[in-house]
Amino acid sequence: MMQFWALIVDSFRESRDRKIFWVMLVLSVLVAAVMFCFSFEQGKVNVLFGMWVIETDYFTGITGIKTDVIAALVVDGIMDTALGGMGVLLSIIATASFFPTFLDRGAIDVVLCKPMPRWKLFLGRYVGGMVFMGVQATIFVVLTFLVVGLRWGVWLPGYLLAIPLVVLLFSYLYCISALVAVVTRSTVAAVLLTMLAWMAFTGVQSVDDLFTSKYPKWQENKLVYEGVHAARWIVPKTQDIIYLAKKWSRAANASVLVHADNDDDREMVDWATKVEIARREMNPLAIIGSSLLFEAAIVLAAMWKFSRRDY
Amino acid sequence: MVALTEMTNLAVDLIDVRKTYAKNIHALRGVNIQVGRGEIFGLLGPNGAGKTTLVKIMMTVVKPTRAMGTIMGRPIGHRGKLAKTGYLPENHRFPGYLTGLQLLDYYAALAKVPRAARRASAPKLLDQLGLSKWGETRIDKYSKGMMQRLGIAQALMNDPELIVLDEPTDGLDPVGRRDVRQLLLELRRAGKTVFLNSHLLSELEMVCDRVAILVDGLVARQGTLSELTEHTVEYRITFSGDAQPIRSKLAALRATVDGDLVVLSGHDPAKVNAVIDLLRGQGLLIESVQPHRFSLEDILVEAMGGTAPQPQSRERQRADKAS
Ligand SMILES: Nc1ncnc2c1ncn2[C@@H]1O[C@H](COP(=O)(O)OP(=O)(O)OP(=O)(O)O)[C@@H](O)[C@H]1O
Ligand SMILES: [Mg+2]
Repeated sequence: MMQFWALIVDSFRESRDRKIFWVMLVLSVLVAAVMFCFSFEQGKVNVLFGMWVIETDYFTGITGIKTDVIAALVVDGIMDTALGGMGVLLSIIATASFFPTFLDRGAIDVVLCKPMPRWKLFLGRYVGGMVFMGVQATIFVVLTFLVVGLRWGVWLPGYLLAIPLVVLLFSYLYCISALVAVVTRSTVAAVLLTMLAWMAFTGVQSVDDLFTSKYPKWQENKLVYEGVHAARWIVPKTQDIIYLAKKWSRAANASVLVHADNDDDREMVDWATKVEIARREMNPLAIIGSSLLFEAAIVLAAMWKFSRRDY
Repeated sequence: MVALTEMTNLAVDLIDVRKTYAKNIHALRGVNIQVGRGEIFGLLGPNGAGKTTLVKIMMTVVKPTRAMGTIMGRPIGHRGKLAKTGYLPENHRFPGYLTGLQLLDYYAALAKVPRAARRASAPKLLDQLGLSKWGETRIDKYSKGMMQRLGIAQALMNDPELIVLDEPTDGLDPVGRRDVRQLLLELRRAGKTVFLNSHLLSELEMVCDRVAILVDGLVARQGTLSELTEHTVEYRITFSGDAQPIRSKLAALRATVDGDLVVLSGHDPAKVNAVIDLLRGQGLLIESVQPHRFSLEDILVEAMGGTAPQPQSRERQRADKAS
């Protein structure tokens, strides 16, 4: 345990040494600060504490303003772009060199001669990489969670679940980065192939969604449809897990949303919570479980390679 | 040698260690090395001989193609015993974002050294290696020699029984080298076993109890320094006059004549006297008689390529002067 902890602390020290770590922190604070500058009143959007007031009836229904809906929309956007997009992307870039530097000639020798099995070394380093994402996600989510709660008066406890979910999403991709790095020892290869894999995963899920929801006609081509559908179960569900996070974020105040009592609002709620039918029916355990199976296979392969090779 | 194999307590006992890297690079071709507990052992050999490979196999960094024997009483590759070994790799590169103290603490934690022991020994070792002022400085600000010192400190953090050092004096200034030598002697006094690779022969000669010479993946020589250098002694007798008439008689005594130099190999004073008598009987004037003990370097060069250490030929010296 002491050894494991030492590896994780070292990984954290290494990530703290990266510029990108601080860039991400600044970005997080910036996003939270921008959100803080907005507030919503009856028929008005108030920017920068009254410096700029936008008159609008967009957020006004019979029952008055619905900051909950706005919060839900913002969280929606955050999950897609800031957290699930930029956050994960930057973290992959930042951690791609974790294994290559670890495996550097002259650096790895000292570590390999320690009284611990190699798989444990690998795992320590692997978890160390996830700590990077964990720290970033925690800071970002907690900051924005507080802004939404304190400034807009909407508390979304479910939103906090986004922290483990994003780390999980990151880990689906990080395992590929680690495998590529162990095989090639190259940071560039790790970043590029991980991006490619991410695109491929997204592609499979999107195409399958289209089959299911928008273009059921395509299903007539059985072979392609079944193939894509099967592939969806194999690849890590990078998209679905974001939807899961969105769903759970809102789950806490779903009752409020459901209470939207005029058509305008209902439409808005619909729009805000719009997910593909297939996703609505998805089983969280199956999504996370099947993705974890994929990750486990990749991690085992990387671990095997790490343990077998000469340094 | 015999005495050593009889010792029940070998720190390192390598039997038939072989390593073939990918693409059929035979780095080690059946190495046998024995190191007794509490001695300083030097591994010597030209570049690419396989010294680093052997050390890496001992430290489980590289998997041997085939290896028998034990290290500290456990089979090679046994990880548990590594808790009590220290290792300084060749050309090590430590993470630059750590300070000296952090690095020592990190590596010692990986070696299962309890926190209190780590806290206690890190500053002590830094001090011992002349880095006491640098403990809080990031490693990427260290000079090469300071890195090397830190590497040695790191190898000693777990109070090891066996210390394996690959080129420990690489990059060190003369004072640093002396410090390291003294440190090695201190370790021996404390009953530790030291296994070191070095190119710097004179250094080995100063501290090693025993050495092995590795050439092309095989042990060419192994033994104590005096064992290795004992039978490699020669006498050089210079004279003036013409030795041509007694050439065959000298040859009978296994002495070779080269211009006005007679070389007689082996440690045999009686024979030397016989040669001198012969020369004097011919009326030649003896100018000097010099016993010449081979240095480790001579032995290494000999082991490497059969280019036996030759006294520089007078003919050639003349030729050199003429040109
Ligand atoms: N990882 C590796 N993969 C393939 N070949 C290797 C590897 N490491 C070493 N070799 C080869 O093994 C042989 C022995 O190398 P090694 O580094 O053990 O020599 P050395 O005696 O330590 O040399 P030096 O004195 O230069 O440090 C060399 O021919 C080298 O090319
Ligand atoms: Mg070497």
